[in-house]
Amino acid sequence: MTAATAADPDRAHQPGGSDQAKSTKRTTSAPRLRGLLPLVVLLSVWELVGSPGSPFFPPPSTWGSALIGLWENGALLAAVLATLTTFCIGLGTATVVGAVLGLVVGGSPGADRAMSPTFEFARAMPPAAMVPIATLLLGYDETMKVTVVTLAAIWAILLNTRAGVRRIDQTLLDAARSLQLGTVERIRKVIVPALLPAVFLGVRVAAPIAVVITLLVEILTHVEGVGALIAQSQRTFQPARVYALILVAGALSLLVNGVLGMVESHVFRYLPGKADGSE
Amino acid sequence: MKANEQPVAEQASAEDRPQPQPRNTFECRNLSVELRSSGGLACICRSIDFEVREGEFVSIMGRSGSGKTTLLRILGGLLSPTPGSTVRYYSEQVDGPPRGVITVFQNYAASLLPWRTVEKNVALGLEGKVSKDEKAERVAEALAMVSLSKRAKDYPWRLSGGMQQRVQLARALAMRPSVLLLDEPFGALDAMTKTTLQDELLHVYEQTGATVVFVTHDVDEALYLSDRVLILQGDPSTIGESVAVQCSRPRDQIETKQSEGFLTLRRKVYEAIMQGHD
Repeated sequence: MTAATAADPDRAHQPGGSDQAKSTKRTTSAPRLRGLLPLVVLLSVWELVGSPGSPFFPPPSTWGSALIGLWENGALLAAVLATLTTFCIGLGTATVVGAVLGLVVGGSPGADRAMSPTFEFARAMPPAAMVPIATLLLGYDETMKVTVVTLAAIWAILLNTRAGVRRIDQTLLDAARSLQLGTVERIRKVIVPALLPAVFLGVRVAAPIAVVITLLVEILTHVEGVGALIAQSQRTFQPARVYALILVAGALSLLVNGVLGMVESHVFRYLPGKADGSE
Repeated sequence: MKANEQPVAEQASAEDRPQPQPRNTFECRNLSVELRSSGGLACICRSIDFEVREGEFVSIMGRSGSGKTTLLRILGGLLSPTPGSTVRYYSEQVDGPPRGVITVFQNYAASLLPWRTVEKNVALGLEGKVSKDEKAERVAEALAMVSLSKRAKDYPWRLSGGMQQRVQLARALAMRPSVLLLDEPFGALDAMTKTTLQDELLHVYEQTGATVVFVTHDVDEALYLSDRVLILQGDPSTIGESVAVQCSRPRDQIETKQSEGFLTLRRKVYEAIMQGHD
């Protein structure tokens, strides 16, 4: 029940403890800008070499104007909102269901034995492969999109929560019992907060997957969203619009990551190294 | 070795505190414990009989693996003994942590809630049970008792090990316990911090009048703090000795520990612990 061994593949790193999180914290803005240099060089060369009439590589300066039409008729905003809605509902559902299932499986060896093989199998299935069956069963709509995204995002959260439950120290539970906390209070005041870092780590891992799968489902099924717009632009030979929309998708991904990072540093400010100005 | 077994055992039964028979806080009869281990059920303790009197400071000692912590967990209602065992807290059979009995664990880091500040950790057991004002008052009082009032708003990881253990003690004291069960509370601390905390504990003991059961592997610590030291022997273990400590209170780290009575008892307890092992 105490510390997981190093060999445990489920061993989740605390959000505060991962090297990645720490190194991004310490990076100042100057090296970060320097890191953009290869991208700037690439786009500059592209701009110089590309021809505005090219069906494959229209120069970056044409991308912006390709979006103006979509912006003016409201299609772009609608698509972005549709994509974000699917993403949020999908990731939210995956978080709630994944955390609850992880709690059950982590807390009961019987449930673990009964369900883990199924989880391992389901986890190994590529989410893209589920799209045809999902459209067959659910049709081409929002529910289908959310279902596929949820199924893709749930595993990281479930498995991290399971590992988190196993890492809860028996002493913590004993202390709570000794202080006369009832079952409900123990869950609310001790177990849930103790699990939050593990659940949140799962969410951090699942979020990029959820973005990718949301776009993928939209590209495959043409149900409203940024992905559907990309597919549509590609089929109608508007390469500049495709590139511009890919940039929009990238920006959405960055936004999601940034928001989660802010939530993380706010919720876990009690952890060593999270608090500002302390170290 | 064999020669001095007998007299020690005889002296042990002689309790000479001239008091009007105080009530028993804990009474254990025929107490056995089996724990699940890799090779099936392992019997840890067998047929243990002992009692802890109200207001008494009792230490439990024994070699590692002798079941000291197990015994404390049973008194704290955190572990059930084998059916047929009797464990009473006053007149009630213990099943689940009895009200007013609080356990303090050796691993302070694992027992404090890292997401709560010191004062919120101390308030944990009071929430929803007493009024807001009373809660604030009792938390402040408990923190003052362990001299941590200034660190109330800090998160536990900012505190030293000794301070974190004080927080755990304060969390227990805020409950105004009638019994404190302490499981090697100073085992992970350095020697200086340890002696300071021992004296703080004695001070708390005198102030609150609580009954204390204290598990330790440190003979000096057990004798310095206790009225009586119980020594677990054998495997499965039973109580081999019960040594009354007659050193007067208040005790002093230097005076008490150098007194002749203390040194004699020290030898006696060492021999009892080492019995059967060389």
